[in-house]
Parts: sequence; structure tokens; C-alpha cells
Amino acid sequence: MRWWRKRDAELERELESDLELEEEEQRENGLSAEEARYAARRAFGNETLIREQTHEAWGWMRLERLIEDLRYAMRLLMRAPGFTITCVLILAIGIGATTAIFSLVNTVLLRSLPFPESDRLVWVSQQDHSLPGVAPESLSYPDYFDWRAQNHTLDGIASYTGATVTMELKGESQRLDIQTVSSNFFRVLGAAPMLGRDLSWEDEKPGNHAVMLSYSFWQSQFGAEPEIVGKSITMNGHSYTVAGVMPEGFEFPIENPAPVFWKSIADEAEGKSPASEQRGFDTLSVIARLRQGVTVEQAKADLSVIAGNLARQYPDNNKQYSSALVEPELAHMTGDTRPAMRVLFGAVSLVLLLVCANVAGLLLARGSKRSAEFALRAAIGASPAAIIRQLLLESLSLSLCGGMAGIALAFGLIRAMLTLMPVEIPRIESASIDGRVLVFVLIVSVATGLLFGAFPAWRLSRSAPARALREAGRSLAGGRAQHRLHNGLVVVQTAIGMVLLIGAGLLMRSFVRILDVNPGFDSKHVLTSRVGVPFDETKHDQHYIFYQQLLERISALPGVQAVSAGWPLPMSRFNATVSFNIQGRPVAMGDQPSESLGLAMPGYFETMKIPLMAGRDFGEQDGLTGQPTIIVNQAFARKYFPHDHPIGQHIQVGVGDGLFEHPVREIVGVIGDIKRKGLTADADPQYYLPYAQALITNPYLVVKTNGGPAAMQAAIGAAVHELDRSVPVYQAATMEEYLYKSAAQPRFQTFLLSCFAVIALALAAIGLYGLLSYMVVQRTFEIGLRIALGAQRGDALRMIVLRGLTLALAGLVLGMAASAVLTRLISGMLFGIRPTDPLTLAATAALLLAVSVAASCVPAFRASRLDPMKTLREQ
Amino acid sequence: MTIEQARQRANLLQGTLDMLILRTLLYGPMHGHQIGKNIQRTTNDFLQMQHGSLYPALHRLERRGWVTSKWEMAPDRNREFKYYRLTDKGRKQLVVEESQWKQMAEAVARIMWPAAEES
Repeated sequence: MRWWRKRDAELERELESDLELEEEEQRENGLSAEEARYAARRAFGNETLIREQTHEAWGWMRLERLIEDLRYAMRLLMRAPGFTITCVLILAIGIGATTAIFSLVNTVLLRSLPFPESDRLVWVSQQDHSLPGVAPESLSYPDYFDWRAQNHTLDGIASYTGATVTMELKGESQRLDIQTVSSNFFRVLGAAPMLGRDLSWEDEKPGNHAVMLSYSFWQSQFGAEPEIVGKSITMNGHSYTVAGVMPEGFEFPIENPAPVFWKSIADEAEGKSPASEQRGFDTLSVIARLRQGVTVEQAKADLSVIAGNLARQYPDNNKQYSSALVEPELAHMTGDTRPAMRVLFGAVSLVLLLVCANVAGLLLARGSKRSAEFALRAAIGASPAAIIRQLLLESLSLSLCGGMAGIALAFGLIRAMLTLMPVEIPRIESASIDGRVLVFVLIVSVATGLLFGAFPAWRLSRSAPARALREAGRSLAGGRAQHRLHNGLVVVQTAIGMVLLIGAGLLMRSFVRILDVNPGFDSKHVLTSRVGVPFDETKHDQHYIFYQQLLERISALPGVQAVSAGWPLPMSRFNATVSFNIQGRPVAMGDQPSESLGLAMPGYFETMKIPLMAGRDFGEQDGLTGQPTIIVNQAFARKYFPHDHPIGQHIQVGVGDGLFEHPVREIVGVIGDIKRKGLTADADPQYYLPYAQALITNPYLVVKTNGGPAAMQAAIGAAVHELDRSVPVYQAATMEEYLYKSAAQPRFQTFLLSCFAVIALALAAIGLYGLLSYMVVQRTFEIGLRIALGAQRGDALRMIVLRGLTLALAGLVLGMAASAVLTRLISGMLFGIRPTDPLTLAATAALLLAVSVAASCVPAFRASRLDPMKTLREQ
Repeated sequence: MTIEQARQRANLLQGTLDMLILRTLLYGPMHGHQIGKNIQRTTNDFLQMQHGSLYPALHRLERRGWVTSKWEMAPDRNREFKYYRLTDKGRKQLVVEESQWKQMAEAVARIMWPAAEES
């Protein structure tokens, strides 16, 4: 502020010197010293006015006034610390919660991808026309190569697919999550290695094994040694040359766990029937960079032409994939979380609105105590505009303080939410308060301040000064209109509270339903893990014998009830759908049905408590040399054998493992349905092959224990290592954990919305309590008089409680009406329950009314305890 | 005189006053008192203005960049005054205001003395 003081001083000096010169001149004209001074002042004019006009010329007048008013507002707030702290705390809750949710939205949905010109990056897939709606299907290598060669709209198109590999690190075999990527992968993303070279087209050819290390892997495993470039590392028993190291922070695909390195697709082109030549082997995710100026639609049309041609050219594999899907990468990545984020943000906005109404009520009550102050100001010439400005500045200072406290609260809330958050939401872990969030807080604080300050300010500016001054001494102040406004605010708060309560109630009921779902298996005391038995080095029978021996050893461990192995584990993200044909029902190659494939060792269904409905389980007879067999679930039997008995039918599945190449299998059993994808998804048709006859991936060990399963983990690891030290054990978890994770998203949503509802209920109750207390204070005289004239104390009590109940009922009805519209928005998040669930509505209404009555009772009791003599004497 | 009335009169005078100040500064840098005296003297005291009212105008002109100011020693006495100087922008503005003033004066003249135009 120093510079404008200096400016003032300079103006003073300038005016002073003018006066002095004038005075001198007047003296020279023969006037006495005193006369000269007066004359000079006359000639000069009104000094104060000139000073003010000059200030105005500087253009700072408004700001000066503003700062003065702001200082005054701050002083007033400091003088009522109780009121100020209450308001700031309430505002902090509202703004803090809103900020925390916004920072999540910002991180997940709004922040752009960390790549140059990331808006040109698109997710690319092919549409499966045999399924309804949008059904993306991964690409095969031959498809990908054709798309890469024939498109006219892309600067580049890259493939990537996840893999886990075994690697010897620090003397121990470990399983690592990596990505197999086309050589232009990094160029398409716009990233370059910080060390070494980029992958080149040569690296896609057989034999040219190359890897690109991530920064963190290079740091942790190779001590950040720059000489690593050009050296070779060994994984899965093969050697790979390190091409380079990516810079710190580079990560793609953005998922958990992040890939530790990226290997070239050279090894996909090797072997007897390489993946790079199988058009039906759809495993690739694809990302592309649009050419400058090309739209998503144009790219989609371009790629669809290619897909259409391929479908005609290769009907056996591509018949149903005759068009392309293209979507901006960011939108694709965050698509699933969008509706939930929108609902959470909507809910927290309602909380903020409620906070505004609440604080407005507080200001209104306080304002009527100050009506004398403002009447006096108006009487001595303050314009309504000046009074409104003063009051708005007060509410703005309140909301800005609330905003600052809110930021502090948001820091804590974000941390808490991240620990509760299901980790599947991409990018969520980097949620933080950045510049955009701070701007958001500022805007929200100002908007909040204006919103909750506007009503009370408008009311107060309109009070007639004469009346207000006359009545100021008595506590009858506050006109009818003001009461109506205050009542309205309380009704709005109750209504918002009702809406949030209904929303939370519905989610809670739906969540209970989810937990009640029978998953089709028993997760209690089941421990699971995988062992990385290498496929290339071990012979077929050795591989299976390893598992047999392992299961034997584990079953001999104390505390183990049952043990087996199977794949995929329900609720894990793995899945494979493989086409098949049923004997006696010939179809064309491209029209074959395909369903979800599973693998099981004998005893798997028993261990998982998946019921056998007909036929038998796999046994020793379904081994490496036995007859090819298959077990289907009930959904499969219902879909494909609605009229026949499934046992004894024959199915040929398109799976080969070298030993068993697409044999015709006999159905030997039917098992119960299980929730494979999640508790809320329908059980889908599934078939299981005996693991011995389909050695295509390492299955999950499932171990049923007597007590806590987690304690068993070490013993299982030891059993594996007794058999073979070089085989790593990974993905150890209990089945309960898988179940818990599958309900993580609804649990999180329910938890957050319930928190909001509790806050809303508390604030609505505080608002009602505040209004009634204020009413009792205002009507002390009247109530005292009534009691003195013979009214029963119970009457006073009833009057206040009835008043509270009326307001609560009004809010309740309004809230019900509003939620009839709003709950439709969350119907997609509900499971097994309709948005108009009568039980939820009734319970919510009862809770709200009970809390309202409780909030009314305290002021009502106070009213009934009034001492009439004392009251009348004091008034 | 209320503040409001004063403000109205100030607005009325403002445009003219600005022009007069700019014109006066064509003679060279001057401080506020000199400018006031100069205008009074030139108009033979016809413009009975209180020279205090110059200062809001001077500060306004400075803010618009038409004049600059600097505290300098007066050549004839041993003390500093705040001297105002015309800028290039100010010179251009003077031309604009002068032509506007001329147009208005001519327009008024045509209405007041229509005969004068014929002759």
C-alpha cells in the first residue's frame, strides 16, 4: 500500500505549492499575510473536493472504498467470533467437500493425458456385430498390420498388449507386468527415450528382441546405470537387448500395476504358428494419433472401410467385425467412471446449496439484530446500494475464509477418499489440488458468498429506517416478509436434505442387495495364488505332473481342507471367449457360437463349493491320456440344450495346446452358475476343460483352509520352492479379497453419498433449530404474555414443535417431488431396487421427521420454561 | 453546491478544459500554477475558474498518456515543482479536440448568425 500513500503525499505537495505561489502573488499585490492566505484559498477552490476528484481521476476510488468496506467487514466479523467461526466452519464443510470431489473429477476426467497434442490420440477397436450395442473387440496382429498399412487418416497407429513374464531379479524369480508393443508405440504417443534409442521397424522382425525400460525399473533394478543400453536381460528364458530407458513419469497404458518395461513384438512372430500370423487371435489394444485436422468421425469411416474389406476377405475370422470403433483416448479411458463422478458431483453441489441456505439463515437472524445499525446508516444518507455492498462484502469475507478452511479440509478428504477408493479408476491416485482446483475454489467461494449474502442483504436494505429505529429497542423487529424468507430457507434445506437422504438410502439398500447376491461359490477360507511354470522349457506331461505333485504337497500341509487349481478365477479380470461347435449342428466357420472358457483340475468345483448339478466332476480319467471331456454350467445348458439332456452331448472347442488340437469332447457334467464378472452382472454361459487337456495358461491354486487363509501363504510358497526354486509365486490373495474388490465401486459410492446425506441432515437440523430458537427469542414477550394470561406451558411447547414440524413436512414434500426427478439419474447405479422404492422413501421420511422434531424440542422446551414475570419486566 | 452539481459542471467543462490545458502546454513544460495563470491571463480573466480544478484534469490527462509529469527545479527559484509536458499522443489529441471544437463552434454560429454565413 506504500505506493499509493506516496501518490497521496505527492498530490498534497503539488496542491500545497500551488497555494503557496498564489499566496505569494497575493502578497505582492499588497495584501497582508493573513488576507493573502484567504485570497489564495478562495482562488484555489474547494480543496477537499479537488482532492476527491483527483482521486477519481486516478481511477482508484472504487477500490479504495472497497478496501475500506472490507476492513470494516473484517472488524465486524472479528467482533462476533462465535458467529463467524460457526459460519466459516459450515462453509468449510460445504466448500471443502465440493473441492475434494471436484479435484477427483479434475484428475480423472478433465486433466489431459500427459502426451503432446494428446487430443489427437484416439482409442481404436473393431465392432463385434454379433452382439447388440457397442461391443468392441481387440484386434489380431494381421488385422492390425492391415489397418496400419491401409489407413489414410492416421499419423500412426500402435498396438499394445499386456503380459506377465518371469525374470530373475536379485537372485529370485519374479513375475512382472509388462507390455508387448509395436515399434511405433512411443512415437505415436509422442514420447522419446531419455537414454538409448527408440524401437525401430527392425525390432518387429523375428529374433530382434528389444526392450524399453521404465525409469523406475531402471532405477530400482539397474541402479540407474547408463551403460545398461545395449546390454541384454533374460526373461522367460530368452535374452532381450535393452534399447533404451523412458523418461521419469512416462506410463502407458495407464493402469495398475504400471508396466515395468515394454518389449518389441519380435517374439510374437516366432515359433511354429506365430501370433503375428493368426487372424483369429484377437488380443491387441490399439492407440492411434489422428492426422492434423482429421476428425474422429473421418478416422472411423476410413478404418471401417478397411474392416469391411477384411470381413469380406477373411469371413472365417472377421465376418462379424465389419466396422471400426474410434473414440478420443481420454474419453475412452474415463468413460466408465463418468456417470458415477457426475452423481457424486451433483450430490456435493446439493450439499453446498444447503450450506448456502444454512448460512443465509444465520445471516438473516443476525441481520435483524443489526437492523438498527443499518437503519441509522440509511437515515444519515447511506444508499441501499451502499448497504447491500457492505453486507455482501461481509458475506464474501465469510465465504473466502470458508474457502480457505475448505482447501485445508479438502486436502484431508482427498487423502481419506484415496484410501477408500477402488483402485480401478485410472489416474485417480494422482488426485491433488492444482491450479485449476484453486480457481474452482475461488469461483465457488465468491458464488457462495453472493448467493447466501444476497437474500439477507436485499432484505435489510429495504427496511424502513424510521420503523426499524423505533422498534430497535424491542425484540419484535423483523417483519413478516423476513420471516417468510427465513422459513423458505429452512424448507429448502430440509428438501435438499431429503433428496440426499433418499439418494443415499437407495444406494445403501442396493448395496445390501449386492452383498446378498449368491456368487455361486463359497469364498470363505479360500486362498489363491498363481505359480509361473514356464511353458517353453517344460514338456507337456512334466508341466501337468508339476501341478499334480504341488497339489499333493499342499494337501498334506496341516490346516488344508482341500486344494485344486482352475482358471479364470471368478471376479478376476481375466477372461477368454473361444468359439466352438456342437456335434450335429453344423454352422459356417464365421457363425460359430463362442462362450467363456474355463480350466479346472479335479476337485476345483468341490474346493470352491460350486455345486455339481448333474453328471460328474473331472477326475483322474480326464488326464493327459484320457478321453477328451468338458463340463458346462447351467446357463450354457439352458442356452444350447434347452430341450435335450446335455450330458453325453459332444462339443468341439477351438482350443489347441499342441497335444490336444481341437478334439471332440463329451459333456460329462453340469455345474451351477457363478458370477464370473461381478456380483451385479448376470451369470453367463461357461464351459470348463480339464486342465490336463488344455495346458494353455498357468491356473490359480485354490486352497481351502481351516482357519485364516492368509497365514497359509508362506507354507504354500515353501511347497512350490521345494519342487522348483526357479518358479515364482504371484498374485496371492484370498477369495474374500476378490469379492470385496468386486463390490468396491458401489461401496465407495454408497459411503460418499451417505456421508453427504449425514452432513445434509445435520445442517438441515441446525437450520431448523436456528430458526426456531430465533423465533422463541423474538417472541419472548408474546409467549411470556400468553403464559401470564393463563396459557399452559404445554401450549407454548406444542406451538414451537408444531411450527418445526410444519416446516419439516413442507421440506419433505418438496424433497420427495424433487427426488422423483433426480433419483432417475442414479437408477443406473442401483441394483435390484427401483428409484421409487417405497421402503426407502418411508424410512427416509421417518428419519427426517424424527430429527426435525428433535431439533425443535430444544427451543420449544426453552419457550415453555419462560418466566412470565421476568420476561414482561425486561421488555 | 452539492457534490452532484459540482460533478455535472465538471463534466460540462471537462472537455473544454482538457483542450485548453493541452493548448497551453504547447508553449513548453509548465507546472499547475503556471498553466492556471496562463489560461486566466490569455482569456483576460474571462474564464473565472478556480485553478484548483485544474488538478483533477491534469491527473486525468496524465492517466490517458496525453501529458507526462516530473518534479523539477524551477529555473527562477530554488525549489521543485511538478512540471507537465505534452506527449506526442497529447499533441494528436489536441488536433482532434481542436477540430471537434471548431465544428461545434461553426455549427452553433450557423444557427445563431445565419446571415453571417451568406456574406
